[in-house]
Formats: sequence, C-alpha cells, structure tokens
Amino acid sequence: MVRFPRFFGKKRGHRRTGSQVWASFGDGVFHAALFAVGLVFAAMLLSGVAVPEWRINHRYAPTTCTIIGTGLVRHTRITPAGNGPSTWQPCLRVRYATSDGPAEAWSQPLRGRLTDDRSRAVASLASWHVGDVVPGWYDPADIRSVVLERGYNGWMWLMMLVLPGALIILGGAGLIRAINRWGRSEERCAMPTRLSGMLDPLATGPRHSAGHPGVPACDDMINSPGTVLAYRLPIESPESWTLIGFGLFAVSWNVVLVVLMVGAGLDFLGGTVDWLLFAFIIPFAGVGIAAVVAFSRLLLLATAVGTTQIEISAQPLRPGGSYTLLLAQGGSGTLESLMLRLTLDEQATFTQGTDTRIEKLTIWSQEIRSWHDLQLEPGTRFEARAAMTIPADAMHSFASEHNLVRWSIEVRGKPTRWPAFVRTFPLVVFPDVARRDDGEGAP
Amino acid sequence: MTSLSESHHGPPRVFVTFSNTDRRYEPLDSLVARYEVDGLGDEMPRAVEHSVLWYTEGKGEEDLGVLFFERVTDTERLPPAVPGESFGCTLPASPLSYEGVIVKIRWCVRVRFFFSGGRDFVSEHEFTVGTVPPARMPHAVPL
Repeated sequence: MVRFPRFFGKKRGHRRTGSQVWASFGDGVFHAALFAVGLVFAAMLLSGVAVPEWRINHRYAPTTCTIIGTGLVRHTRITPAGNGPSTWQPCLRVRYATSDGPAEAWSQPLRGRLTDDRSRAVASLASWHVGDVVPGWYDPADIRSVVLERGYNGWMWLMMLVLPGALIILGGAGLIRAINRWGRSEERCAMPTRLSGMLDPLATGPRHSAGHPGVPACDDMINSPGTVLAYRLPIESPESWTLIGFGLFAVSWNVVLVVLMVGAGLDFLGGTVDWLLFAFIIPFAGVGIAAVVAFSRLLLLATAVGTTQIEISAQPLRPGGSYTLLLAQGGSGTLESLMLRLTLDEQATFTQGTDTRIEKLTIWSQEIRSWHDLQLEPGTRFEARAAMTIPADAMHSFASEHNLVRWSIEVRGKPTRWPAFVRTFPLVVFPDVARRDDGEGAP
Repeated sequence: MTSLSESHHGPPRVFVTFSNTDRRYEPLDSLVARYEVDGLGDEMPRAVEHSVLWYTEGKGEEDLGVLFFERVTDTERLPPAVPGESFGCTLPASPLSYEGVIVKIRWCVRVRFFFSGGRDFVSEHEFTVGTVPPARMPHAVPL
C-alpha cells in the first residue's frame, strides 16, 4: 500500500524536524530544476553561438570579396514603452566567387565595432572603400552567408562554460546526492563514502584532530613558537574583519561618489547644471563621510589599545593539566584593569525560517589573573606570567557542523580613555582518555 | 526510543542488552550490544541496519557521527530465522557524552528494520561515553 509521506517527522531537542521524505523530494526537485536550466542554457548558447562560430572557422570556404557598398546594421530594443536606444554595427556589401558561381550579399556585421553612437559607426566605415578587395569566407551550404573575419569570441565561450557549467555541476551533484539518499536511513547517509565529499563539498564541517573525532584540528595552534614559552596562541579577531569590511565599504562608496562628483563637475564647467544629480550627490556624500568617520574610529580603537599576545607552556591541553601563560600587552596610556579569563562556550547554529542564526553561551568562566592601574609605556610591552589549570572533569573541545563546545582565553581590558576591549585566544582541549574516575562540580 | 514510520498494528519491541550492564563506557572501550525483537506480526523485515553513533541535541541543528554501521539483508540473519543479533565496535577517544546547556552530545545504538511495504521502524538505545558531569546554567561575567 502506498502511503502519502508525512510533512513532519520526529521531535528532536527543541525543534520538530521536517519529514525526511519531503526534504529529499524538495532537494531533488530543486537540483533537477537547476540541472535542467543549465542544460537549456547550454543548449541555447551551443546552438546560438558555439556551433555557428565553429562552422565559420571550420566549414566556411575561403574566397576573395570585392566591396561594392557599405552600410550600418541598426539594433533597436523594443520595450513595452516603445523603442529603446539603438546600437549600430558596420557591414559591407560584397561580391565574391563561390563553387556555384559569383554571388553578392551583405557580410555579417563586423564584431568589436558595435557602438551606440551612429556618427562613430559611420566614421568607422571610412576605413573601407568601394572597389577594395578583402579576404572572406562563405558558407558552402548557403552561399549568401559570408563573413569578413573569423576567430572565436573568448568572453562568449567563457560565459558558456562558466554559467551553464556551474548550474549543471551544482544541479547534477545535488540530484545525484538526492537520488543516492532516497529511501536510505540517516545513519546510512551519514556514513562517509568516496562520493559524499564530492557531492556535498560544503557540508563537510570542521576539520578534526587525527584520532579524535569531534575534536577540532589544532594545527594553527602549534605551528607558531613563542618567544619565551613554547607556543604563541593565535588570536581570534572578529574586530579585524569588521574593520576590513568598513574599510572596503568606505573605499568603494567614496570611489562611486568621486565618479559622480567628477561627472557633475564636468557638466557644471560645461555650463550645464543637473540639479537632480546634485540632489542625489548630497546625501550620497553624507553616507560617504559617515563611512570614513566610522572606519577611522574603528581603526583608531584597534590601534590605540596596542597588540595583545599570549604564549603557553605546552600543547595539547588536557583536563586536569596545569599550564603557564605569558601575557604581553602593548600600547600606551593607563589601563584601569586587565584580566585573563579561561572560558568555556557553547555555540549552536540553527535556522529560523530562511535565516541562519548562531547562539553562543558562556557556560563557565574563571579568572586566571587580573591587574589594576597598569601604566603602559610606548615602545615597551607589559609582560606577566600566570598559571592556569583545566578542570579535571571538564568537557573537551567539540566541533561539528552546527554545534561547538569551545575553550578560550579571554583578555579583558579597560583603558581610561577608550572603550573596554575583549580579545579571545581559542584553545583546543583534548579528552583525557586515561582518566577513569568519576567527578563532580566541573564546568 | 522507538518510532515507527507507518503501522497497522502495535510497534515491535526491541530489547537491547549492553556488554556493560550500566551502559557506561569509557573512550576506547569495546562495546557489544545484543538485541532481540518481538511483536513483528505477519510482516517480516527485508533488511535490518545496526549502527553505533553520536548525535547532537539542543538548540542547534542536529549533527550525526556514525561510528559503526552494518546493513543485514541475508534472510538467514533476519527474523524470523533469528530472533536477534549481536554487534559491536571499539569506541573512539571522542566525543564524550555531554549534557550541556544548548549543546548536548548523545551516544546510542540504533536498530532499524525495513519492511517490504516500504515502512521502517527504528529503535534507539542510549549509553554514555566518559564521565563529564552536566554543565550548569551560566552566570554573568563582569568586565
């Protein structure tokens, strides 16, 4: 008996998960549509561009053409509101010899000479004169089809490969994946195979440490030796990405602003004042100035406090292990407080409607050491050691595609003249596989 | 946990016994699970899948890691020829079972029956790996 698949499946955690059958079906239909669009697009480009161009280069017969007239091909886009702007392309009336005898026809429009300026198109015709003899190629299957230039349009071929190719690869891989998963249990689908990485390269999740599934790889943490202690910890700096983002936005916005202002200025010098353009430029300039101010403020905040470095005595970290830290804080001025904290965060990624949301929660945190009223001198850096112990029954670091358990060291500072800052140095804590005793009161 | 995709009668009952009767394991331990199934009725399974896996639970989307997977289609190893089977594996060093606040990691054994009508039935039996105590609710961190 065939039963209609349910829309809703089981309840897992805080959510009800959707029906696997419908999800697979929707996934398959979506990727099949992508695949079909890619095929149609490829077929259109192939029949409209690639095949005619290939025939011209391989099937057309050479001949000698005598120019008997010149003209322009006019291309006008017809819109619901009427005729749109026209473009012009020169072409030549030629007489030439074919296997069936002499023929006379207009040549196909000359590539690379398309212009929306009719006078320029007319001027370009001046390079040909009636009576000139030029090489040409005609179609033996249709002797009235003649061209005066051959070769390939590189951009068209690139577009033909990239756009339909991307749709065909994405759609095809998704379709194979959906077919491969159809009717299979989630455990069977989750088993890694040789094909799974190829069919779903974006869903591979974070890299894991060898021999420790679920524990994130820590190659980046052990490849940088410290100056005093064994390793220098990498800093996690979301502020840097914000700064880069603001910088790129400010630069690109103001480049557009300059182009607009140059255009308006040239019009003004030519005696024309486009008030609409000026009215548009004023708020545009306001946003540009605000972007520069915001970027400068972020840059000042990032550089005024000075760099923070942490070195650690040993890696990898294990529960119950004690480690020495070296904190180095650069910059100048007074810090009201500076604190080192060991923290354990949980992070969950989930979808709400069409949004992907990330929730992060610090579930345990312990002060390692703190300092007050620190006077930082330019050219030197404040250095201090501290001892840190990972709780004996602590959870190890964990990373899967949507869930994280993450250890880190936070440096929290409060300068007298600037806003407080937090700098995070991620850690990877491995499970202590030798430990067999039960514990209480851990993070 | 057991669930049945579609059923005309009551769900089958799957009884699982673990090599460690308290279902507590340490990393790198060997796990052996033996199950017996009852109440299949007239419809016999055409395949059974045995798996040992971990999955996440909580606020985030579910992630799944399969350590052991076996699909049995040989009728001599399926009910009614045999009432149940044993399977097992050596547990990995990680991840450990974890009862966090918004992230939880659970280990389990699943036995999934596929019936000739197209429906399937899964029975899930949890066990723990490691002895990480549950996380407490967080408190505010002063700056």
